[in-house]
Amino acid sequence: MKQKAINVLTIISLASVTLVLLPLFLENSPWPLSARNYLELHGVGDSGAINLVSAIYLGFRVFDTLGETIVLLTAVSGTIGVLTRAGAVLAEGYDTSGTPALTEQEKKVIMDDHTFTLAGEKRRSHALRTHLLEVVTGVLGPVVLLFGFYLMLYGHLSPGGGFQGGVVTASGIIFLALGNRIGAKNPLIRASVLDRIEAAAFLLLILASLSGILMGRGFFGNPLQDVTAIPAGYIILLNGIIGLKVGAGIGFLCIAMVGREIS
Amino acid sequence: MIERILLLGMFLIGFWGIVSRKNLIKKIFGLNIINNSVVILFVLEGSRAGSSAPIMEQGISNIVDPVPQALMLTAIVIGVCISALALALAFRLYKATGTYNIQEIKRKVHNGF
Amino acid sequence: MVFEDIVFAPILLPLLGAALVITAKAFLQGRPMKILEYIGAFVGLGLPWLSFALTLPAVTSGRVFQGVIGNWHASVGITYQFDGLAWLVNVLTYSVCSAAWLYSLGSGPRGPAFTSVFLILTASLSATIMTSDIFNLFVCLEVVGISSYILVASTDKPGASLASFTYLMISASAMVFFLLGVYGLYRVTGSLSYQGIAQGLKALPDGGGMTAVISLALIISSTVIRVAVMPFSGWLPDAHALAPHAVSAVLSGVLIKVPLFALSRILLIMPVGAQAGQLLGWAGALTALIGVILALSQADAKRLLAYHSVSQIGYVVCAWGIALYVGITTSKGAALMTAAFLHAFYHALFKGLLFLSVGTTVDRAGERNVYRLRGAAAILRSCGERIPVTLLTYLAGALAISAVPPFNGFISKNAISYALEGTPLYYLLFAAGIGTVASFIKLSRIYWPDRSRKEIPVPAVPVPLTSKISQGGLALLCLGGGILASRIHSLVMLLLSGTRAEYLIQWYSAGALLKTGAVIALGTGVYLLTTTGIIARVLKVIREQPGDFRGLYISFSIGTALLAGWMLLHL
Repeated sequence: MKQKAINVLTIISLASVTLVLLPLFLENSPWPLSARNYLELHGVGDSGAINLVSAIYLGFRVFDTLGETIVLLTAVSGTIGVLTRAGAVLAEGYDTSGTPALTEQEKKVIMDDHTFTLAGEKRRSHALRTHLLEVVTGVLGPVVLLFGFYLMLYGHLSPGGGFQGGVVTASGIIFLALGNRIGAKNPLIRASVLDRIEAAAFLLLILASLSGILMGRGFFGNPLQDVTAIPAGYIILLNGIIGLKVGAGIGFLCIAMVGREIS
Repeated sequence: MIERILLLGMFLIGFWGIVSRKNLIKKIFGLNIINNSVVILFVLEGSRAGSSAPIMEQGISNIVDPVPQALMLTAIVIGVCISALALALAFRLYKATGTYNIQEIKRKVHNGF
Repeated sequence: MVFEDIVFAPILLPLLGAALVITAKAFLQGRPMKILEYIGAFVGLGLPWLSFALTLPAVTSGRVFQGVIGNWHASVGITYQFDGLAWLVNVLTYSVCSAAWLYSLGSGPRGPAFTSVFLILTASLSATIMTSDIFNLFVCLEVVGISSYILVASTDKPGASLASFTYLMISASAMVFFLLGVYGLYRVTGSLSYQGIAQGLKALPDGGGMTAVISLALIISSTVIRVAVMPFSGWLPDAHALAPHAVSAVLSGVLIKVPLFALSRILLIMPVGAQAGQLLGWAGALTALIGVILALSQADAKRLLAYHSVSQIGYVVCAWGIALYVGITTSKGAALMTAAFLHAFYHALFKGLLFLSVGTTVDRAGERNVYRLRGAAAILRSCGERIPVTLLTYLAGALAISAVPPFNGFISKNAISYALEGTPLYYLLFAAGIGTVASFIKLSRIYWPDRSRKEIPVPAVPVPLTSKISQGGLALLCLGGGILASRIHSLVMLLLSGTRAEYLIQWYSAGALLKTGAVIALGTGVYLLTTTGIIARVLKVIREQPGDFRGLYISFSIGTALLAGWMLLHL
């Protein structure tokens, strides 16, 4: 009986959502062109970037992008914090009072030789690791990283940008971690290194946004206007910083999530 | 027209998933589905303004509206972050209670956690 | 450096502080890390006060700082607006956040991860009230959201994780609806700034028609879910009750108010905004009454406080909504908006104080059930409080929320009553006031001496000095708000409406005092009634109603549909 009542309520709520959203989804008026026309005429001249999407998210609406990177930063930090409490990962700097203490040996394994980089037979779950995977990802890793940096640095000219490049970089980092054999130590796959890169990139981003104020050009004003001849200089700088931050953040998140295999 | 009706259908499927599925992971799926349907709608409709990609190389004109694309880039990243956090919370609840069923979790949390 | 840039200080300084703290966490350890963390917190929570002092003369003279961030063209760029409203809401945010962070030093959650998220939350609250761009509002609300989910979950209790998950799901889904609203408004007007949208809608022959109204309704309802007006409040009690005490203070004090005032920027200039305000005003008044009944039925001390947040935000939304309805430029509207902000501000102070002091108490006693916990004053004494700071500050908060002079709650509740005199809403709020007194008598009983039990069941943990300082500071602010009533009231009115108060309210008149006396007497009566058999049983039934995850969504969708229907009726 009660179940039935709840189902009826579910249907009512779905019906009301449909009623409200139907006119919105079916709205058929012509798309407003004011912003597009302005950007088509002046977008490149104002920002220096040929890729207008980059011009918007790192120029016209860069403050949104700052918010977005902050969401990412907070999500990484919070996810690691929550997982630490669940005993899934080990991260420094979080309150771990609720989780069972690690033995010295476990700590050594996790901190020195990250379990993510252990060979298949040493891990609890073997399913994800094969020699084929290790070889292929190990070789592809640097290529993917390079492609990520290309996307970051050419985001103002071609499809791409900080976020896209950052995500590709993060997958490069994961490839490197997967392809890493026993004993090989690549600093890029250590959680602590990635954490540092992310922190430094965030500090740089805040300083870059403040620099306009210090130079009298206003918040997020272009501080490089008189310094460099490249009109998109500031956008390239921000793309690079954001790419580093996103790559390190997402890479950190993935490595930390898969990292702790000891229970 | 048909694609917008399909997108509304996609939205409703996601919403139904959040409302009536008991599994936490499926609820998170539902959240992703409704988010993506709105993202697709926004970009799709914005692309009706023109015909070429908004990269202003020589001779390009009649571009699509780049604003929706830039906005949706932000919305996608935010959606990913929210999913990551939601999944972490779901995992934590699973570790604490041994189940992904929200009613079970609620009952167990009520009784003495 | 340009003077105008100082308005970004409340956003940028906490972000800089957060960046310092994160850097400290990544690169340093031990003592240097702690020092840099404290420097970051000072940069983020201390220095912005300087900017408030510097901008006060400008905003009181009616100056509005506005422009486009980065000096881009306004058709695509993000516009901002720093005016009296933004100044006031920033002061509200920073007073509670500073006190709560100080409290967290002694009682947890500690550590650079917490501090950085806390600073980011503060910055995003500031950005929320300053923006006048609808998509930027979306981003700001998402930052507020994600940092608050994390803060709620920053304790070891699985219950807190569940509360955080529920809060995350409902508010993230609501933000998807918000995004749809942005889509609708951009679709018909082609702009994202509030001004641009309002002008675009005016230029259209049918004023945007159904699409614009439905988009607005979606935006309103998904913002209001953060404000927790009924029927959108189902997520709040769990999240606020199970979060760490310092976080509860910020959530209840600040987080549920800032989106409301940010929303008023939109509603003031959009079509049908006034009618939406009217509906929300009624919802607020009902929320005030229902919330207090639910609070009266609770057994958990912090949950009782959380339901009071729902109830008190009802007062604020009621005054706020009616102010939008009658128009903020009219003298009645200005008085109502002033009253709404005053109550929001004062509620932030006393509710923050109550969460902190009750939190201190239940931690020491190891018991949160208000029916079982007795003799908390003695327990606190045995924990080394020779001067009963926690007890006194709790009393200040409880008297303030019950609207007893000379505390600040008396002023703001009376300001709302004066402005609503003669409407049915007045009686709803009057009844809610009685319930408030009754439930705080119930809560105060935890401090009453306990004759049956002599020994203290838990080891005595001393109350940290930082907790005492932050509780004491908030209590003094509560008292100050009551004593300096006229000056603060006229300052707030000047900042919100640009007019000096035309009519001066006689705050401590015989009539007002008599009314307070009547409310207290009735409240005591209601409390005595609730201890009798039948009513106690009814309350128990209300208390044990299971909160359903599905119910949140059902009420959200039906509420949104009702709001959209109401607004379409008045198109």
